[in-house]
Amino acid sequence: MKFDIIIIGGGLAGATAGVELLKKGRKCCIVSEGLSLHHTPMDEYLALGGTLLPGDSVIVGIWEEHRLKAVLTRNLGNTPLEADTFLLCTGKFFSKGLKATMDSIVEPIFGADVEFDPCRDRWYDSDFHAPQPFERFGVKTDAEGRVLIAGAPCENLIAAGEILAGEIDIIKSAKDVCRTLI
Amino acid sequence: MQDTNISQNNFEQCLKCSLCTTVCPMMAANPHYPGPKQAGPDGERYRLKDPGFYDLTLKYCLNCKRCEVACPSGVRVGDIIQASRLKYGRLSRPLRDITLASTDFVGSLAVPFAPIVNGALSLPIVKIAMDAILKVDRHRTFPSYSRRKFTDIFEKDLPSQEGYKRYVSYFHGCYVNYNYPQLGVDFVTLMNACGYGVRLLDREKCCGVALISNGLGKQASENAAVNMASMRKALDGGSEAVLTSSSTCTFTMRDEYDHLLGIPNEDIRPHLMLAVKFIYDRIESGQISLAFKEMPGRLAYHTPCHMQKLGWTVYSTELLKMIPGLDLQILPQECCGISGTFGFKKENYPYSQKIGAKLFEAIRDSGAAAVITDCETCKWQIEMSSGYRVYNPITVLLNALDLEKTKMLNAE
Ligand code: SF4
Ligand code: SF4
Repeated sequence: MKFDIIIIGGGLAGATAGVELLKKGRKCCIVSEGLSLHHTPMDEYLALGGTLLPGDSVIVGIWEEHRLKAVLTRNLGNTPLEADTFLLCTGKFFSKGLKATMDSIVEPIFGADVEFDPCRDRWYDSDFHAPQPFERFGVKTDAEGRVLIAGAPCENLIAAGEILAGEIDIIKSAKDVCRTLI
Repeated sequence: MQDTNISQNNFEQCLKCSLCTTVCPMMAANPHYPGPKQAGPDGERYRLKDPGFYDLTLKYCLNCKRCEVACPSGVRVGDIIQASRLKYGRLSRPLRDITLASTDFVGSLAVPFAPIVNGALSLPIVKIAMDAILKVDRHRTFPSYSRRKFTDIFEKDLPSQEGYKRYVSYFHGCYVNYNYPQLGVDFVTLMNACGYGVRLLDREKCCGVALISNGLGKQASENAAVNMASMRKALDGGSEAVLTSSSTCTFTMRDEYDHLLGIPNEDIRPHLMLAVKFIYDRIESGQISLAFKEMPGRLAYHTPCHMQKLGWTVYSTELLKMIPGLDLQILPQECCGISGTFGFKKENYPYSQKIGAKLFEAIRDSGAAAVITDCETCKWQIEMSSGYRVYNPITVLLNALDLEKTKMLNAE
């Protein structure tokens, strides 16, 4: 199944990006494991005719060098989902965009490079109300938002939203990424 | 550690976000139903301590699995509820539930008497009697029984299935066999045009969905064992896949057999699918080509809840989008409310119609000439409640095909 853009993650970032891209005439597909409480952008995305795979998740990417050719999902099995560009909008820990192991933080789908403090003791601030350091962990990208894997940027896998490291304005990040794509 | 201390229906992974409760159609329609979070992962903790905590209102769960599709943590909310109904729900089972659940048995009794049964089921006096005696709601239109079983038509009337290079097996299900054999005939015609011969399974039993939802787990397991054995044999015998035309049978045999009945099916699962998936994948890999005629007009597609749970709506909609001239409207995913035998029960009828109301309105607003869906119980419910005709995607595809040209394209 071929689309112009496949958006992995149907939360605020993914659905906002989907709306922007559909409005520019791009054929989009959102793969969303679980619902997001942000119904408004998703309702708009669906009303504009965007394709949604609800309750599905990407299992693995099919690569050609540094170019992501297609992804396989749990529900579609052996039907590859192909696209020119892939957006990674899977968010942080709650939405499983990032996963904490005993000594590291990983990005579970593609094994993207993640920025985090190697000392686990510094992940949390014992003051519950203080900003928590782990909230700023996220995947590394180059200046154009392309995801880094083993230090090298992927040509067509771009991250947006909360999955990014640092302080993120989700909607702005999604719209910025779309601007570079249109 | 988190990967190893999780029980089978993973209730421990619930983070209490309550997203599932925002999509449960029963919770919105029925104040007595506690909703997926309470009925599922929350209640499970108590039930494990003491089965006395089993809550009888769990019978309202439609098993639509919308809660599972919504859950960001992958909790098998619907499975937890169904499993506990099977385990703890030792309610006395009224004759009505057993009758509604025994689709095979009742169907095979009804077919020889179809004209009488159909007439009788729609006579007002009979409806009132059923309402009073069996507690089947009298507003409910019964799906009519066919005069002949599909298996009979397949053996006697359809063209010979010998001489094809490639074969698929067909799990027709109770609906095609007893109520609507034309869909089975359409399936065979379509597959033949695609260059595939069709075989029936040696033995086919009802998938068991109605037995499971009426708490008859033992009978469901017996059916499951027969079906899995027949499919294993069919695949060993050279069928490329076992294909179906109903989303609920497919979902039940692929997922519920393993999750609820504990019947192993991982060897069958990759080869058991809806015909729309098979055809779509074979078109993409270049093994099937379809030649279409122009089919102008607007049709609306309704996603059955189990189709959404399978995640396979795109196969039906992408195939239908190939039809030139067709204006396909995708209806917002709403539950139609019938949930198999649920909506046939008198006490459930009002909930059933209340749940479906949003969908019926969307259909009326769509401006479509008719509705397309992959589920036969959605079809009954929509036809009865909205007055629109409902077709399976297979029938629509077949009608849009240039049959001769398609046959030529797929002839070796
Ligand atoms: S959506 Fe999932 S995690 Fe959230 S309350 Fe429901 S079962 Fe629990
Ligand atoms: S399966 Fe459907 S009816 Fe049952 S709890 Fe989940 S959403 Fe509600």
